[in-house]
Amino acid sequence: MLVRKFCYLIFILFFSSLSIAAELIEIDFVYIGEREHPSLLGVNQGIDESNLQGQFLNQKYNLDVITSDKIDGYDFSKYIAVLTSLNSKQLKNLAKQLSNTLIFNLADESNKLRHSCIGNILHITPSNKMKSDALEQLKIKKPESNATAQSWHYSFVKFAARDLNKRFKKNYQVKMNDHSWAGWAAVKMTSDTVARTQITNSKEMLNYLKNELSFDGQKGSDMNFRITGQLRQLILLVENDKIVTEAPIRGVAKPPTLDSLGILECS
Amino acid sequence: MRISSIFLSLILFLSNVVVANADGRIFVTNERSNTVSVIDAKSLTIESTIEIGKRPRGIGLSPDNTELYVAVSEENKIVVVDPDTLKILREFEAGSDPETFGVHPNGNIYISNEDDAKATVFDPKTGKKIAEIKVGLEPEGVAVSPTGERVIVTSESTNMLHVIKTPENIIENNILVGSRPRAAIFNNSGNIAYATAEISGEVVKVDIVKGKIIQTASTGDSKSKPKDVILSKDENVIYVAGGRANKVVVMDANTLEIIKEIPVGKRVWGLAMSGNGEYIFTTNGVSGTVSVIDTGKNEVIKTIKVGEFPWGVVVKDN
Repeated sequence: MLVRKFCYLIFILFFSSLSIAAELIEIDFVYIGEREHPSLLGVNQGIDESNLQGQFLNQKYNLDVITSDKIDGYDFSKYIAVLTSLNSKQLKNLAKQLSNTLIFNLADESNKLRHSCIGNILHITPSNKMKSDALEQLKIKKPESNATAQSWHYSFVKFAARDLNKRFKKNYQVKMNDHSWAGWAAVKMTSDTVARTQITNSKEMLNYLKNELSFDGQKGSDMNFRITGQLRQLILLVENDKIVTEAPIRGVAKPPTLDSLGILECS
Repeated sequence: MRISSIFLSLILFLSNVVVANADGRIFVTNERSNTVSVIDAKSLTIESTIEIGKRPRGIGLSPDNTELYVAVSEENKIVVVDPDTLKILREFEAGSDPETFGVHPNGNIYISNEDDAKATVFDPKTGKKIAEIKVGLEPEGVAVSPTGERVIVTSESTNMLHVIKTPENIIENNILVGSRPRAAIFNNSGNIAYATAEISGEVVKVDIVKGKIIQTASTGDSKSKPKDVILSKDENVIYVAGGRANKVVVMDANTLEIIKEIPVGKRVWGLAMSGNGEYIFTTNGVSGTVSVIDTGKNEVIKTIKVGEFPWGVVVKDN
């Protein structure tokens, strides 16, 4: 009698534990570019963090890395997104080839690429125009300044940037820069979306990111995408390796929003 | 003989009155002064300032009120102070960058280790580490249910409330909430918790047992970055430290509707309530002050200057 009760108990526990555990979701990314490119370090950081979060949600993230010469004939069907440090010409070709796949541009800054509004490319790194607009704003406020415009800096501490810089440096022994931040951000926004929506299909993910996303990139909240596929974001103005200010610059930026930086329309 | 015994009773009576005054105290960590301000509860004035160490943040009391714990973040330690004599009793290593902690009814301390994606459990009597629990990135808030069955640790970057079952100290559930959950508080029976979300300026109400969000509501300002949240004694009202909105937001605990907004000092993060629920003390970091709120009127009745960048606050009633 006692043995029977015991078996019954084990049976109940086994099945109840099955129903509690969420089904495993496995997500695959591919990175196309040179292995030494800093964006790959950021991508790896993003994958590690996504797997940490994934541990609690029964989600697993994998990354394959290939160079651009391997694109022809490669099977991209299993990937939720392609992360690239390719140039605009290579990106255009890839976007045509993989028309239903989400492609992240982590490195190319050309304005023309943004103007061409290619539907399946999301630009994480800022365009040249975003940077030049930020510098123009600074010139109005501080005419004598000799700054550069960047999307990230290793000394940035606001918006929990300090924590991200700290753990990246701890893991890779180099400072996080524009490209590594872009790699991290692309992976993070994707895995955050998987965590919240369980979307595993590339086209659906592209759609969600373009239209629904409000992203916390540890660079200020509410980052989202423009019609051009460009991620709206703060631009840091850096002089002598120190952050001088952030654009949009209060009192100077017109409009006084992130849309004072960069290209707003398709050509 | 009789006169001297009257005299003796008078002395004792008077000394009791003096001691009763000193019993009620509010302790505040001043993050940039490296001190703890001691406020006398009766006069609401600064009684004393304790030099404590570099970057003190989290603060708490033992269940029997005989020990005051201060997380001295930059020195990776908890300092133990006698809350009556104000003498430093001892200290112990508390893992990397200890910030926020909760004290369990059994006396153990649960600390969130911001840089290490974990929470650590210490016995403050011996300084011994009892357990390490892996949580998500940037763990911050810690809340202990009043009867001690569960502990919540929030991980800001992973956007979760991790529900830890005690005494086993294992994670029972992980609840995805809005961006950057910071502080949390349980209701009296420990089945519901409220947490503030930094990025969205929201409060989320969560069913801890089912592991589900019951409701989310704005604290009124999406840019404000709210921090501490506490519950009234009758559980009908929650108070939220509104961060850069510079106000304490009073919300209905059932509907999450905003009842009132009480302006306090700048960058209000910390909240603590007196034992009878009549007063709330806020730490206004940028102003360097503590506001005293009368919860009957929901008004500030006094503002007390403390050290630089007051962070945490705890009330010792007697």
